[in-house]
Amino acid sequence: MLNDEQRRAWQPVASSTDLVARHVFAGAIWGQELALWRADDGHVNAWENRCLHRGVRLTIGVNLGSELMCQYHGWRYANRTAGCTYIPAHPADAPARTICNRVYPAVERHGLVWAALEGTVEGAALPELPMDGLVLRPVPVDVPPAEVEAALAAEFGRDRVRWLVQPVDAGRSIIRGVLAEQPAEPLPVLRRWSARLGRLRDRLEALPRPPVAPIPPELHRVDPALAGLPEPGPAGTSLRLRVARKWPVAEDVTAFRLAPLAGELPAFQPGAHIDVALPNGLTRQYSLTNGPDDTAAWVIGVKREPAGLGGSTCLHDAVREGDVLAVSPPRNNFPLRRDGLLTLFIAGGIGLTPLLAMARTLHLARLPYHFHAFARSVAHLPFVDVLDGLGDAVERHIGLDPAATTAKLEAIIGTQGEKHELYVCGPTPFLDAARAIAAAKGWPDTAVHFEYFKNERPRDASNAFEVALARSALTLDVAPGQSIVEAVAAHGIHIPTSCAQGACGTCRVGVIEGAIDHQDVHLTPSEKARGDCLMACVSRAAAGRLVLDL
Amino acid sequence: MLTLYDYELSGSCYKVRLMLGFLGLPHETRHVDFHPGREHKSDAFLAINPLGQLPVLDDDGYVLRDANAILTYLASAHDPGGRWGFGGDAARNGRIAEWLGFASDLTGTIGAARLHDAFFHDIDADAARAGGKRLLRILDEHLWFQERQGAAWLAPGDHPSIADIACFPYTALAQDADLDLADCPAIRRWHDRFKRVPGFTVMPGVFPARE
Repeated sequence: MLNDEQRRAWQPVASSTDLVARHVFAGAIWGQELALWRADDGHVNAWENRCLHRGVRLTIGVNLGSELMCQYHGWRYANRTAGCTYIPAHPADAPARTICNRVYPAVERHGLVWAALEGTVEGAALPELPMDGLVLRPVPVDVPPAEVEAALAAEFGRDRVRWLVQPVDAGRSIIRGVLAEQPAEPLPVLRRWSARLGRLRDRLEALPRPPVAPIPPELHRVDPALAGLPEPGPAGTSLRLRVARKWPVAEDVTAFRLAPLAGELPAFQPGAHIDVALPNGLTRQYSLTNGPDDTAAWVIGVKREPAGLGGSTCLHDAVREGDVLAVSPPRNNFPLRRDGLLTLFIAGGIGLTPLLAMARTLHLARLPYHFHAFARSVAHLPFVDVLDGLGDAVERHIGLDPAATTAKLEAIIGTQGEKHELYVCGPTPFLDAARAIAAAKGWPDTAVHFEYFKNERPRDASNAFEVALARSALTLDVAPGQSIVEAVAAHGIHIPTSCAQGACGTCRVGVIEGAIDHQDVHLTPSEKARGDCLMACVSRAAAGRLVLDL
Repeated sequence: MLTLYDYELSGSCYKVRLMLGFLGLPHETRHVDFHPGREHKSDAFLAINPLGQLPVLDDDGYVLRDANAILTYLASAHDPGGRWGFGGDAARNGRIAEWLGFASDLTGTIGAARLHDAFFHDIDADAARAGGKRLLRILDEHLWFQERQGAAWLAPGDHPSIADIACFPYTALAQDADLDLADCPAIRRWHDRFKRVPGFTVMPGVFPARE
């Protein structure tokens, strides 16, 4: 068992130069193995050296630049949070936000990387080191840390070199030294110290001493907040994010960069959206445009809808840089497959936002895709700088009338190639047209992925029916004008919702028995025909009674 | 036609497979049942190599044994650019030869401990392990100073050499001999660089650096 001091003390675990690009470094503190890796954005990650899926060491995994991939089943984990972003065996599903590896606090200072088994980066109490010192080649020694400390002090003193002994285990140490002065010619100095420390190591290891038992790894239980099922009821806007930047990205479109007040944002996947609680009391959903290489703050694009209920105008007019907004954790009902041989993205106007996050993901992974951005005019095309970063994969279609748009969609979609995937997002008529063309050309609806911003289909809530909740052993009535969500909430059962109009897919509920009157725009025709789930915020019984998996 | 007498789990045969991969040479493989069949000690195989050792390469009737010899031959005969072998200056050639010798020492220590642990050979595994650990420390220090001088490989020059190929397998398989590379960070980084050389192939126990 480790004591509190061992857990909380900050230890040097690597030289900064050890963490080269696209590498996973093996470190340890008191027998606890660490997988250390630097993301392409420079962030240093210190994670427990164990994939939570099957326990394989992450140090044999692959640093993909913005994600770490486990070598065993290819699960991807996000820079900073270690949240799971992709499970290759379930390419069509969004991994639950609860799948998250253990993260240790780590900071980089004085040419060294420091980590602790417990605590926070803010509380890092690091020894003062000469800022311009020369970090010596670290030398591992199979000798208990206290003995190494004493031997270093006796042998070399502490004047010229600041000695730091990393406790790798009860019987193993790494000597790290920082030379107070930067010599004009560092190489011979480094060689001399490496040789000296090597001789000291050999001498210390040769001394007779009883064998020292290694400290066993502490396998932590998964955080109860992560192990359980998500809390029933609305997810709630539990995050507090500061508007770090607000800027126009197109005619009528304003982007907001939302940064955490402290710590890191939760992990997200491409296609995810957040609920934003607005100062005027409304809650609105916005897709994250971030790629996996951009995890420090979220960027959303908001189109001004003067004819709307005032959500977008409030963000445009009332919210300023520096304001703090209440935001929900990200939710992904529009997951991206990464196993297509070619992925087609078709974006109409502001519908580009979730597809942008997806294209950035495939771009980084060097997977093939084409991105088609439709806009009314050049000035109406949002996030042009991000599109430019995607290079040749992007084709812009500007100022087409409806007939020309349809003709262009016909040309783009074509017949489905082997393992081609289609992702569409945009205004309702645009999306309807793209889906109809894909269906007419024989695309199976499992390969056509879409997300509507809103449900503009006529809805009819005039019937009354009965729902039986199989797991709760409750039967109750849904009155005309009342949704299933509202009816069950009156009996204390909360279904998570987000858009409340059958567009986003958050309120999906399993159906065990009964004929469904689907009124949403989230499910595909084949999902609707299967009849085993419904969107509880809008859909109803076609006749009589529904048995729900609630 | 090139024919390799090969055993999938042999680190020494892996050296030749790596070289064939880097040079993109088409070849045939004759699988020799080293374990448990002991086919390398059969009369038929002893007629090919009286030492009863793998690998053996047959290039249109020119039969060559010993991994270092085969690497040297392939680099001379089948690497038109002369990038992998003794085509450079004297200082580089000397270093390549030096590290080829080191590779044989790795086979005799880490390779021997692995033969004991994984193939049940009657060998003093602890002595072999101790020897292997000493070599890993020397290699790690060398590579650390190479990095420091902007050099990526064992011998001088921008291109890896047959010395890198020869030293890679038994350091990458150190885990099989119960030797941990966590204390050899420069070796682990060199492994990553080596795995990213176009034409790199894996073997059981050696993982790719990219998907």
